Amino acid sequence: MAEVHHESSGSGADFDLSQFYQIFFEEAGENLDLMEQMLLSLNLETADDEELNGIFRCAHSVKGGAATFGFSDVAELTHQMESLLDKLRRHELKPNASMVDVLLESADSSRALLACHQSGQVGQGPATANLVSRIRALVAGEIPPPPAAIKVAELAKPVVDSPASATAPAELAESASGGMRHLEVRFINLDQPAQADAVVELFRDIAGLGEIKPHTSGEVAADSRVFEVETTSSNEDLLDLFAFHVSREHVVIRDMVSPELLGDPQGPAGEQSLPAQDAATASPGFGFFDGAPGAPPAHDQTPESALLATQPMDSGVAKSSPSAAKVPVAGNMQPEAATIRVAISKVDQLINLVGELVITQAMLAQNSRALDPAVYQQLLTGLTDLDRNTRDLQESVMSIRMIPMSIVFSRFPRMLRDLAGKLGKKVDFVTQGEATELDKGLVEKITDPLTHLVRNSCDHGIESPQDRIHAGKPETGTITLSAAHQGGSIVIEVRDDGKGMSRQKILTKARERGLDVSDQMSDAEVWQLIFAPGFSTAEVVTDVSGRGVGMDVVKRNIASLNGTVEIESSEGYGMKVSVRLPLTLAIMDGMSVGVGNEVYILPLSSVVESFQVRSDAVSTVGQGAQLVKVRDEYMPVIELEKVFQVPRYDSDKTSDIMVVIEADGSRVVLLVDELLGQQQVVVKNLESNYRKVPNVSGATILGDGKVALILDTGALVRRSRH
Amino acid sequence: MDKTNEESNAKLCEYLTFRLDREEYGIDILKVQEIRGYEPPTRIANAPPFIKGVVNLRGTIVPIVEMRLKFNCANAQYDDFTVVIILNLHKRIVGIVVDSVSDVMGLVPEQMRAAPEIESIINSDAIIGLGSLSDRMLILLDIEKLMSDADMGLVADV
Repeated sequence: MAEVHHESSGSGADFDLSQFYQIFFEEAGENLDLMEQMLLSLNLETADDEELNGIFRCAHSVKGGAATFGFSDVAELTHQMESLLDKLRRHELKPNASMVDVLLESADSSRALLACHQSGQVGQGPATANLVSRIRALVAGEIPPPPAAIKVAELAKPVVDSPASATAPAELAESASGGMRHLEVRFINLDQPAQADAVVELFRDIAGLGEIKPHTSGEVAADSRVFEVETTSSNEDLLDLFAFHVSREHVVIRDMVSPELLGDPQGPAGEQSLPAQDAATASPGFGFFDGAPGAPPAHDQTPESALLATQPMDSGVAKSSPSAAKVPVAGNMQPEAATIRVAISKVDQLINLVGELVITQAMLAQNSRALDPAVYQQLLTGLTDLDRNTRDLQESVMSIRMIPMSIVFSRFPRMLRDLAGKLGKKVDFVTQGEATELDKGLVEKITDPLTHLVRNSCDHGIESPQDRIHAGKPETGTITLSAAHQGGSIVIEVRDDGKGMSRQKILTKARERGLDVSDQMSDAEVWQLIFAPGFSTAEVVTDVSGRGVGMDVVKRNIASLNGTVEIESSEGYGMKVSVRLPLTLAIMDGMSVGVGNEVYILPLSSVVESFQVRSDAVSTVGQGAQLVKVRDEYMPVIELEKVFQVPRYDSDKTSDIMVVIEADGSRVVLLVDELLGQQQVVVKNLESNYRKVPNVSGATILGDGKVALILDTGALVRRSRH
Repeated sequence: MDKTNEESNAKLCEYLTFRLDREEYGIDILKVQEIRGYEPPTRIANAPPFIKGVVNLRGTIVPIVEMRLKFNCANAQYDDFTVVIILNLHKRIVGIVVDSVSDVMGLVPEQMRAAPEIESIINSDAIIGLGSLSDRMLILLDIEKLMSDADMGLVADV
C-alpha cells in the first residue's frame, strides 16, 4: 500500500502544487483579515501575551504558506513582520502606534502581493522594501525614529497605502529586465546636502542592496549630490529607502547603462518627452520641479530612461492611472468562482438532513412492499425514483466532506525539495496511506500543523549530509508521512531518521525560559515542553523554523480538533510525531454482524475472514479461555454475546459464525450469530453526548434509523491478551 | 397571575411538569429541547440499568435515561403516553423517559417552598424546592445537576 515519492519525481510535483494555491490564498486572506482585526483592537497599554501571540501566529502562518508555495516577496515581508511581533511577544520591545501602523500597512501590501500572485501577475505587486526597512528599524529598537524619517515616512505613506494597482509602470519594465542595474542617482534642491550622504550608510547597512559611490565626473550644484549605484532593487524600492533621509521630490534616478531595457513606451515615458525638452535647457538638478507638480521631469536627452522621481501627493493620481487601467484585464484571469467556502456547520446540517431523508425513504420503501404492484404501479415507480434520488443525493452530500489524505500529502514533496535545497540537506520523502479518507474540515485544519511538523523534521531533525555520514548514517535522510485509521481514530505520523531531540538541551532551554522543570521528568513530559509558546532549541532563527512558534500552533490546532500529539524521540536516531484525531465524521467500510437481536458494526479493514465454526475446532485452555485453530494457527476466541451481555430470548440459537479480525498486529476470532452485510457507515461520536464505552469506538445510524455500535477491534484484541 | 406585577414577573420561572408514577416533577423549561414519543433505544452493554441506551435524534446519538428506574418507581411500562423529554444541558443532549408530560407552569417565588431534609433516592442538592399549587405538589429538579452526577454515568469518570 505504501507508495514512495522521491522528491526528484520532477514536474509532476510542481504541477500538483498549484491546486492548493487557491486554498492558500483563502487561508492567507483570512489570516491577514484576522491579524488586522486583532491589530486594530490591540490596546497598546495593556496588550496581553495572548493577543500578541495571536497576531504573531497569523503572520507566521502566512509566512509559512508563502514560503511553501514559493511566494518569496510575501514570505520576506511577513518574515520581517514576524520578527517585530516576536520581539513584542517576548516583551523586548513595547508596542507603539507606529508599529501598529507599519504592521497594518504590511498586511495591506501582503494582501496586494497575494492578489498579484493569484492573478498570475508576478512581480507587479507593491514595493515592500520601504516597509521592510521600516520594520527593521523598529526591530532594531529605533523608537522613536529620527524626526526627519518620520516626516518622509509619512510622505511616502500614500504610495504604500495605495493598492497594487498603483505600481509604477516603470517598475513593470524593470522587473522584466531584472538583474544588476547601473544607475545614476541625483539628490537635488536639498536644504541640507549632508542628508544625502546618509544614503551611503543605507547601502552599507542593508546587505544585498548594492554598491554606491559618489559620482565623480561633471559638476555638481551646491545643493545637490550625485551618486553611482549598482543594485538589483527597483527604483520604487530605492525611492522608498531613500525616503528615510531625503524626500522623494528631491530624488532623481537615471539608468546609466541600458536605457533600451527600461523603455516603456506607454505611460509617463510618453509624457516625459514634453518637459524633457524644457529640462534639457536647464542644467540638471536645478529646481525645475518647482511649480510643476505632476509634470514628469527628465534629464539630458534620454527621456525614456529617465525615471520620474517626484511623487507629490497630487501627482500620485496621475501616476497610478496608467496601471489602474490594467487591473480590469487582470480581473478577468482570476479564478474566483471555482470554489465557495461554506461553514462546516451548514454542511453538517445538510448531511444530517439527508440522513433523515434516507431513513424516511427506507421507511416508505418498507411500508410500500405490501402494496399490490398492479394497483399502485405509479406510486411504486415514484418510490423507486425517490430511492435512487435520495441515494445519489446522499452520496453527493457525503462527498462534500470526504477527501483523501493525498490532497494534503502532495503538498509536501515540493516544499521539502525547496527546503532541503535551501538548507543543503538531502531528504527523501515517503508517504503511506494516502488513500485514507479524512473529513474535509479535518484536512483543512490538519494541513498547517502537518506543514510545521514536516518543516521541523527537515530543519531540525535531518542532519547535514556530512554530519549524517559522520554518524554512520546514509547521506540522504528520510522523512515519512503516514496516515491510517487506528482504533477509532486517524493517526497521522511524521517520522524522520534525523538526530532526534536532546533531552538535556530542552531542559536547559526550559530553565532559561523560567519553566518549572526537574531532571526527574519522564521523557514524554520533557518532549511535551516543546509545545510551550515561544519554545525553541534551535540556535539560529531561520525563516524556516526556530522561533518556537510551530509546535505551539501545532498543539493548539490539534487540540481544537479534540486530537492529541505524541512524540517519540531517540537522540541520534530520529523522532516520530503522531497526531491522533478522532473520527468525527469519517466514513468507514463496515461489516454488520448480528448477535442475538442486536447489530454491531466491525470495521471492514480489520476483518480478515469469516467462516462457519466446526464444533471440534474450539478448544479450551486453563480457566476456560477458548482457542480455535485456523489453518495451523491458534487464535483466542471472543464471544461478543458475553462481552456485550447480549440478552438471549431464543435459547436454541447460538453464535456459530467466526470472524477473524486483525488489529495491533495480532488476530482474534469473534463469535457472532450471523453476518448481515457490508456497508459504508458514518462514524458518529458516542462521547459527545454520552461517554466512552469499553470496546466500542463509536456509533452509526443504520438504514432503519436505529443506532448500531461500532466495535473497537484494537480494544478487543488487547482484551484477549489480558 | 392577576396580582403579579412587573417585579415578580421578572422572577417568574417556567417549569415543564411531568409525572413519574404518582409523583409530579418540574424542570426548567429552558433546558428542554423537545418532547418525543418513546422508541426502543439501542442497548449499551455494561451501562447502569436506568440508561436504556442510545437513540438517533436526527443524526445525533443521544443517550436515554429511564427516570422511573432511576427514581425506583414500582412499574415502568411503555405505552402511548410514555414520552422522552430531550434536554439540552451544557451542550450535551440527553433524553429522559417519563410517564407523561402534564403542562408548562409559571411559578412565582411565593409559590415555592424550600424542600425539607428528607431521605430520598434523589440527591438533595438536585432538588431546588417544592412548588405548591393548591392541592398539588411539584418537585422542582435541578436537572442539570442531577444529570451531571457521577452516579448517572453519563459523563466519563476521570
